[in-house]
Amino acid sequence: MAGKAIWKGYINFGDVNLPVKLHTAIKEERIQFHLLHMGDRVKLRQQMVCAYEKEPVPVEAQVKGFEVEDGKYIIVDPAELEQTAPESSRLVEVHEFVKTVQIDPVFLERVYYLEPDIHVKGYNSLVAALKEMDVAGICTWAMRKRYYLGALQTSGKVLRLTTLRHAEEVISVKSLELQNIPLSEKELKIGSDLIDQLTAPFQPHKFENEHRKKLQMLIDKKARGEKIAILRPRRLKPTTPDKLLQALEASLKKVA
Amino acid sequence: METRAPGRIPSKPPSKRESEAAVQGIWSGTISFSLVAIPVQLVRAVDSGRVSFRMLHDKDYSPLQRRMFCPEEDKLVPPDEIIRGYEIGPDRYVLITDEELESVSPERSRTIEIIEFIDMEEVDPIYYDHPYYLVPLKGGEKAYRLLVEVMSRTNKAGLAKFVLGEREYLVAVKSAEGALALITLHYSEEILPDEDISPKEKKIETEEKSRIKQNIKKMMSDFNPEKYADRRRKKIMEILSKKVKKIAPVEAPQAEEEEGEGPADLVAALKESMRKVKKNR
Amino acid sequence: MTRRVVESAGRRLSLSNLEKDLYPSYGFTKAQILEYYRRIAKFMLPHLKDRALTLKRYPEGVDKDFFFEKRCPSYRPAWVKTADLRPDDGERMTVCLVNDLETLIWVENLASVELHVPLARTGSPGTPDSMVFDLDPGDGVDILDCARLALILRELLFEMRLACYVKTSGRKGLHVYVPLNRKETTFEDTKKFSRAVAIIMQKNYPDLVTAKIAKEYRKKKVFINWAQNDSKKTMICVYSLRAREKPLVSFPLEWKELEDLAGQGDPERLQVLHSEAVSRAEKQGDLFREVITKKQRLPYL
Repeated sequence: MAGKAIWKGYINFGDVNLPVKLHTAIKEERIQFHLLHMGDRVKLRQQMVCAYEKEPVPVEAQVKGFEVEDGKYIIVDPAELEQTAPESSRLVEVHEFVKTVQIDPVFLERVYYLEPDIHVKGYNSLVAALKEMDVAGICTWAMRKRYYLGALQTSGKVLRLTTLRHAEEVISVKSLELQNIPLSEKELKIGSDLIDQLTAPFQPHKFENEHRKKLQMLIDKKARGEKIAILRPRRLKPTTPDKLLQALEASLKKVA
Repeated sequence: METRAPGRIPSKPPSKRESEAAVQGIWSGTISFSLVAIPVQLVRAVDSGRVSFRMLHDKDYSPLQRRMFCPEEDKLVPPDEIIRGYEIGPDRYVLITDEELESVSPERSRTIEIIEFIDMEEVDPIYYDHPYYLVPLKGGEKAYRLLVEVMSRTNKAGLAKFVLGEREYLVAVKSAEGALALITLHYSEEILPDEDISPKEKKIETEEKSRIKQNIKKMMSDFNPEKYADRRRKKIMEILSKKVKKIAPVEAPQAEEEEGEGPADLVAALKESMRKVKKNR
Repeated sequence: MTRRVVESAGRRLSLSNLEKDLYPSYGFTKAQILEYYRRIAKFMLPHLKDRALTLKRYPEGVDKDFFFEKRCPSYRPAWVKTADLRPDDGERMTVCLVNDLETLIWVENLASVELHVPLARTGSPGTPDSMVFDLDPGDGVDILDCARLALILRELLFEMRLACYVKTSGRKGLHVYVPLNRKETTFEDTKKFSRAVAIIMQKNYPDLVTAKIAKEYRKKKVFINWAQNDSKKTMICVYSLRAREKPLVSFPLEWKELEDLAGQGDPERLQVLHSEAVSRAEKQGDLFREVITKKQRLPYL
């Protein structure tokens, strides 16, 4: 079952006006740990602590500051921040359409399913249109007092809305300052062949969260008072530049 | 304030290695494919944006930090006194150390082993969770560049699993403008089915579909994130710009507020000099 | 949006939005900002050289959205010099170094109206080249009070055998710099010294001066911000424009001039507008030259 409906809106562009309901699409299973104090095993709490006095500061004594100059802040009060919240609206406005393949995954944030709210035929037509043209609608909306940017796409037979990050939030590759190391044609050819040999169709169902099961077993074992064998993490020896070609050739031999 | 959103690789579990983590990025280890191993470091690809506030103490405007606090002993707890526990009953915990955690999947805590390569176009974007970059560590620059180049040439991405802290992630490693980008993926079991919200009525009105396509055609453009303004940020900036004109920004006191007037010799010399200055005026 | 490509010293620069008015109530376009910086460059560049730049960008104008950027934008041209910093509380960061005219123009094309730099150079981040007294007027006092204070401070420093130089902040206050330029000097030295000076000034002129940071002490007094003597802090670079209503400049003044103006009673006359900055600098040269060349030693530490 899809997640519960968390919001209702209208998709709007041209003469399309489609009411929809937003559902969460992802549910993560996690083993929840608590942080404890080593001696008395008391559950620890998070506190905001004054960097200088090193004392916890109660909520009433906390203010929000925005750094305008090195170490200097402008205080902003909650009422002012309220003003920056968008007005309540149910409108999901599509501004343009782009080819789906153009959207770099680094911009994708959170995905929601959209359920048709009453007008099913219009919904189906939109799904078909988006699918046949292989496009996504770039849209903006306001939800829960926040502004959102997103991509409207299809997923099988349903519509999907994925929130997008803003350009300023993504760290560019250039800032990593990677070196350009020359490679030989031979190294590149063997490397490419190796990849081709190791290529398989994407079958996500193959992959299970095995670690979670093993972790649960470890916990159960400890709970029973059994001893745990500590295995060292495996560390691989890095392939040095002079041994790269050799490693590639040996790999190709292994898989071919 | 930012809370730990699901899917985000958390900062390293509290341990003596905390200081290590802060300097070296989020994680460091090796990425491998077949017999090639490349030492790398995992770094952020997303920065939460410039409109981030700091919480300050209203008394003196010193910045606040999150710290762990023991409610029983009523005091702050340093990182080396913190341990991870799993609750098996009310106030009953099983303690798990970092070493024990790493021993659960020892082959994957320090290694990202690419087991196969896939065509990214086969990946439904719903699988994407969170993006990171990998940067090469000393000695691994050549092998790193090779992997980037050949994945770019063949237009493929590597699929791997690796463990960080408490969780195991399924990841896609791809070439991105000359770097390796690592994107965590959701497991299939985490993607909720959509059958129940999918319309039972399958019929499509062809005329309506054509009309919609016409609309779409008129609105076609190229994807360029720079076009889309961050409205919240703009609004906050407007408020701040106005405020900064009227009020001087506040500043926190120094970490070490020394007692006294200063080194004795200096103070004495200053006193004497000040006496002369006042005499002359 | 107009775009113009210029070439200088074999480097191509694409300049944009030149006709955009970034000082709307005064009327000063981006082209004019670039022109100002181009003309002031020869006086300003020595003070920017090898210092980690903090850009303060106002792409929509001085009355709108601004942001300050410590990281050198990733889309910089290859010829922009940078330095790698590793602050102890965070990940490594690449900063811009404005070491030539083209980089200055490039940075200004980003509407980085204000340029802020640290007191130390990136090669030796723990070694301040000078000690600064940032005179900051509280509510109820103004630049004239800062001027009076600066003149007393100068005499005190003179008695301690230290030469000093003064510039306007371009906003409400004044900055007094004591050149040091010795590799043995540390921020601990300059902070201790300046704090001691501030305290003695406060003791002797309690109605005019305060050395205390907390807001309640600063009303109707000039605050000597000795805490600016810190590796993590930055100061507005001399000759930089300020993003206020008018394109005022953080400009060096002669002590004699300060004496005269302090007595006259008109705070506006202490402020230097962009056009005046260019003509004065071209006539007198860089009055702040000694701040980066003169070697002095802090006594009694």
